[in-house]
Amino acid sequence: MLAISTHELSKDFSAGRGRDRRRLRAVHDITFEVERGERLAYIGPNGAGKSTSIKMLTGILHPTSGEATVLGLVPWTQRRELARRIGTLFGQRSQLWFELTTRQTLHLLSRIYRLDGDDARRRADELAELLDATDLIDQPVRSLSLGQRMRCELAATVLHGPEVLFLDEPTIGLDLIAKQRFREMVVRLNEELGTTVFLTSHDVADIEHVADRVVVINHGTIIYDDQVARMRRSLLQTKLLEVRFEEAPGALAIDGVQVTPESDTVYGLVVDTRRLSVREVLDELLDAYAIADISVVDPPLEQVIAEIYGGRT
Amino acid sequence: MNALAAQALISARRALHQRGELAVRVAFYAIILVIFSALWSAAAGANGGSISGYDAHSLLWYVAAAEGSVIATKPRMIESIGWDISSGAIVTEMLRPASVVGLRLAAELGEALVRLVCSLAVGGVIVWLYVGQPPSAAGIALFVPASFLAVGCNLAAQHAFAGAAFWLRDARSTWFLYQKLVFLLGGMLLPLEFLPTALADVARALPFASMAYVPARLASGHVEPWLLLVQAAWLAGLLACAGGVFWAGERRLEVVGG
Repeated sequence: MLAISTHELSKDFSAGRGRDRRRLRAVHDITFEVERGERLAYIGPNGAGKSTSIKMLTGILHPTSGEATVLGLVPWTQRRELARRIGTLFGQRSQLWFELTTRQTLHLLSRIYRLDGDDARRRADELAELLDATDLIDQPVRSLSLGQRMRCELAATVLHGPEVLFLDEPTIGLDLIAKQRFREMVVRLNEELGTTVFLTSHDVADIEHVADRVVVINHGTIIYDDQVARMRRSLLQTKLLEVRFEEAPGALAIDGVQVTPESDTVYGLVVDTRRLSVREVLDELLDAYAIADISVVDPPLEQVIAEIYGGRT
Repeated sequence: MNALAAQALISARRALHQRGELAVRVAFYAIILVIFSALWSAAAGANGGSISGYDAHSLLWYVAAAEGSVIATKPRMIESIGWDISSGAIVTEMLRPASVVGLRLAAELGEALVRLVCSLAVGGVIVWLYVGQPPSAAGIALFVPASFLAVGCNLAAQHAFAGAAFWLRDARSTWFLYQKLVFLLGGMLLPLEFLPTALADVARALPFASMAYVPARLASGHVEPWLLLVQAAWLAGLLACAGGVFWAGERRLEVVGG
């Protein structure tokens, strides 16, 4: 059963004034379908058209052309009806009232969504427990850290039991631990409640940890649509390590690893994970050198997109 | 309790808890009232005891009611609503299954009514001490609902004006214009009877008079119950106008990026 369906959906914006006024195409003829219960990562670099797509699918923006349905409803003509059945979280825009506590916000939202008072209170407590926010729910929102606030934002987003969860860059600005925690919570909501997840991000790690399918959008056009496992096999074949040694390591060479010195003691390593694992590289480094610090990151999305284009030519 | 009532109640509680902000606003109102009391007493005295049918006694009750009715709403509200629209912050409100402007009005109304009651309580005591009891008990009885209607008209009009940001992207100029209209044509600074006759007639026909002049006219001892009907009609019209502006604006909203 389909949760989301789009057909040649496009959105133009006007830019400039007077004679310089021109139309900019933010989203161009996108067509895709999302099954109920699926976890889809909709990714792309800044300005790719991710947020514009999500705003059309939630009914905030009217498309210039094309069609879309979410849970069988046309978002921009049935926005309020749809709002009762979906939850939307924007990483860069809070939906909480900063002067209120999260519990007060949840109470107000329960009135807006016309939930039964007792059910809403019980659900608020359950969500606080599920999202590990029992100690946060009675604090004023303005006193919460970004990571804490995002957990409360998620509670507010799913209070009414949405069938589809739209998450627009929810991990932006979070530290690594908070990001990981947030991703785990989204997966739990999907597995325990069957909520369809539509996640936009420009963080490659969000794809690997949350989604089972990935759609890549660039310059308003879908350039890749596949299962994450297949994408990992075909595109995410490198990990980047930044290693700071206690003292200059001299000549550093590991088979399957591309080494780039950044200074006497700091080296950038590109690990080809088809040939050896990050763990093997770490073991080798730790055995042979005194290491001051190591960070492991995914290749930037721009590199993944370049590989997608590269694979096509 | 429905969403609008819950929103208004929560906002009223919040306004009550923000004691510092409430105290500063009431103190500001009291200072203005003391200055205006001295000013208008002197003006009435210099004019043989009354100006355009208002003696010093009724003038001071007029000023207390007019200033109190307007000061209950947030300053620069049009600017802040306009910013929420032009920055795209309003999109989170559009994702709720409720009227954006309805919830905003309920929130502002809850806060404004708390400020109205506190300001008028202090203002009433000051003026009573200065010139004695209100000129007419019936006038004061009519003033109570009129002051609530005045706040409602003011909030609805500000939302209607602020909705211009859906088209203009910047509501600062709208706020500047609106403020001057309420000050002069709304009868906040001085009774409309003080204006040239033609201008006063125009001002009475505009919605701004319902925001300050009407409650002040009633509090100053003019028992004119039909003014409440004028206010109620303007309130309905302004609410429809604010709702219409947001309805149309939400359909043409252009928010680029996250």
